[in-house]
Amino acid sequence: MPMGNTQPSVRPASAGRAGGAAVTPVAHRSGARPRRARGGPGAERYAPYILVAPAVLIIVLLRLYPLILGVNFSFTGDGAQNGTAVGFGNYRELFADPLFRTALSNVGLLVLLLPVAVAIPGLLATFIYLRVPGHRFYRSVYFFPAVLSPVIVGAIFNLLLAFDGPLNAVLGSVGVGPVDWLGDPDIAMFMVVGVHIWATFGMALVVFLAGFATLDAALLDAARVDGASLRQVVWHVVVPSLARTIQFVFVTTMIGMLTSMFGLLFVMTSGGPEGSTYLPEYYIWIQQGQMNRPALASAASTILFVIMLVVGLMQIKLLERAGKED
Amino acid sequence: MRQRAMWSAVLVVGLALAGCGSASDSGKSTSSDGKLVVWDWKSGEPFAKSYLDKAKADFKKKHADVEVEFVAQPFDQYYTLLGAAIQSGKGPDVMLFNGGGQIRDRVDALVPLDEYVAEDKQRLAGWEAFTKDGKIYAAPVTLQGYPIYYNKAIYQKANLDPASPATTWDKFVADCAAIAKAGSKCFALGNKEGVGIQFWISSMGSTTLTAAEYDAWIAGKRDWNSANVKRLFQLWKETGDKKMNSDGANSTAMFNDSFALFQSGKAAHVMGLMSDVGHWQDFNEFLTPEKLGVMKAPVVTAGTTPSLPYDGGIGYAVAKWTKDPKMAADLARSLSSAEALKAFYADAGAIAADTTIDVSAGGPAVSTIVGELKSGKPALHVALSSKTIDLMGRLSQQLLSGSITVDEVVKQLAASDQAG
Repeated sequence: MPMGNTQPSVRPASAGRAGGAAVTPVAHRSGARPRRARGGPGAERYAPYILVAPAVLIIVLLRLYPLILGVNFSFTGDGAQNGTAVGFGNYRELFADPLFRTALSNVGLLVLLLPVAVAIPGLLATFIYLRVPGHRFYRSVYFFPAVLSPVIVGAIFNLLLAFDGPLNAVLGSVGVGPVDWLGDPDIAMFMVVGVHIWATFGMALVVFLAGFATLDAALLDAARVDGASLRQVVWHVVVPSLARTIQFVFVTTMIGMLTSMFGLLFVMTSGGPEGSTYLPEYYIWIQQGQMNRPALASAASTILFVIMLVVGLMQIKLLERAGKED
Repeated sequence: MRQRAMWSAVLVVGLALAGCGSASDSGKSTSSDGKLVVWDWKSGEPFAKSYLDKAKADFKKKHADVEVEFVAQPFDQYYTLLGAAIQSGKGPDVMLFNGGGQIRDRVDALVPLDEYVAEDKQRLAGWEAFTKDGKIYAAPVTLQGYPIYYNKAIYQKANLDPASPATTWDKFVADCAAIAKAGSKCFALGNKEGVGIQFWISSMGSTTLTAAEYDAWIAGKRDWNSANVKRLFQLWKETGDKKMNSDGANSTAMFNDSFALFQSGKAAHVMGLMSDVGHWQDFNEFLTPEKLGVMKAPVVTAGTTPSLPYDGGIGYAVAKWTKDPKMAADLARSLSSAEALKAFYADAGAIAADTTIDVSAGGPAVSTIVGELKSGKPALHVALSSKTIDLMGRLSQQLLSGSITVDEVVKQLAASDQAG
């Protein structure tokens, strides 16, 4: 909301110079603004609009226009029907496509797995904060995967999880039969999500450690003096104090999961086996690049955009409410 | 809030009703008059240098004043980038295509070349893959086929005669049992991308479908309910159930993990390619030419004759938005001139579209392949649309994991084939 922020700081000055009665910013907000503005000289009246124009233009030209264009394309046809309006035809086709439904249900799966993705860095950060032996070493090691590209991570885990790879060799040596980690549709998605969490939890860990830095050590000491166990310290002292950090990590992890799994999927499973690891992004890429269906891909993009919008708005609401409680 | 929701609703309904503009556009060329831009995924490779030099020299003879610029794109992204170019209606004048679905899906953006390439029709093979509705859209450079390669050393180890591989399916299955006893798998299979099934139906097609069924399939009249079409998928399932394939086929990439399994002697057969990758020249790195054999498909349905499935592999097409289609077509022709293709064969290890090239120095495997070109037929999977091929890939994975029946597979494929 750049408009809302700029106006109060510009208006009072212009109103003052125009010699009118003193108008407080509060009065502007309550609706006195249009009447006052009409009185000022032209240049000053338009100044705020001119000042915000570059930002608005950039947003409109580079963000909103392409977005609307994309939504518009989603109502046109492909191939022979190129350019003709087909109404909701593309959307009907999408929801009739079992592959797209799988992609959507995988988004649901990601949301369900979110607590796990947040709990892992949270727990590990707690251990580091409580100075378990070797905590300095772990602090750097945990962050290390976060600097690797998803393609490299995917390639490494492709080797590790191959049917004749080292993980199955280890399992074999303890008498457990080999598992086709990336070839079994019931397992593959969990493996990809697991690798994604492994590759990205370092960033969340750093956020948690920053949160811990603001934690009041006196509270922990008091809890210890009162004889609280480690579990009780974590549950009754650490978690409530870090509520806002945890919420922030929830939001960023969710966004990361929904928008940056493409590289891993591309390298590790190519959407397979049996289409079980499709996500909307991958579906869009396949339809546009491989199937030559740009309009259908636009429709899928629009749906993904709506999903992200809903998730994002919900998270903003959540953060706002948490802010009020403070 | 309510007002905002109302405005969004108005916007969506408005767009839905209007649906104006189009997701892919047709427009003008970006290049200037004295210059042609070519897109491909080959020109950056060292092996392509002498090929391009020869092609450019040939083009210079016809149009001395025209500059040609080759832009090499990464193959992974090639059709995505090309799709974006087609959408904007601006892009290269001449572009490289894979034969089959990839070019047929995009002929809207191409110029029919029939009148320009008439002279080359006899000399070159593989036109079918670049043809749609009777019109030719690209001049073939290489031929792509799906021969069955086998490792003669493993045959010897399993006490089989490397000079006479099985000619019937039953004998082949028996041979594979012997090979399994000797400690190797029968097929090196990579079906992670769902490509394995494509090679399978094409390699086994000529001996499973009757000649009439085969021709009807290529002509677009596919009877998915015929017993022999079902048999094709049943055999695929059977090789999985009988553990004839290398382990973890659904998580093994065909390029190049499955070919590595074959090269390293872990499996006795592989359904490979004859150009680019996964072919005789690639395998020679570890399998010497004497150890590498090429066999005909074993006969499944009595009365069928095996033939080599092959099509035009890659070829250059001319974009609709180019200023001078004749000049661009001349460039496409130069790129498949005899001299250029000779260089391509020698350096890239591809079977060139020009069948008059002498290949005797390449080893017995390549001679066998070229010898079979005359009786060869178009490959079955190349005739399918990209959408059906994509679906077939996923269904083939389900067949291997046992979560679908053959009847259900042919039902879904028939529906997709008729829709596309």
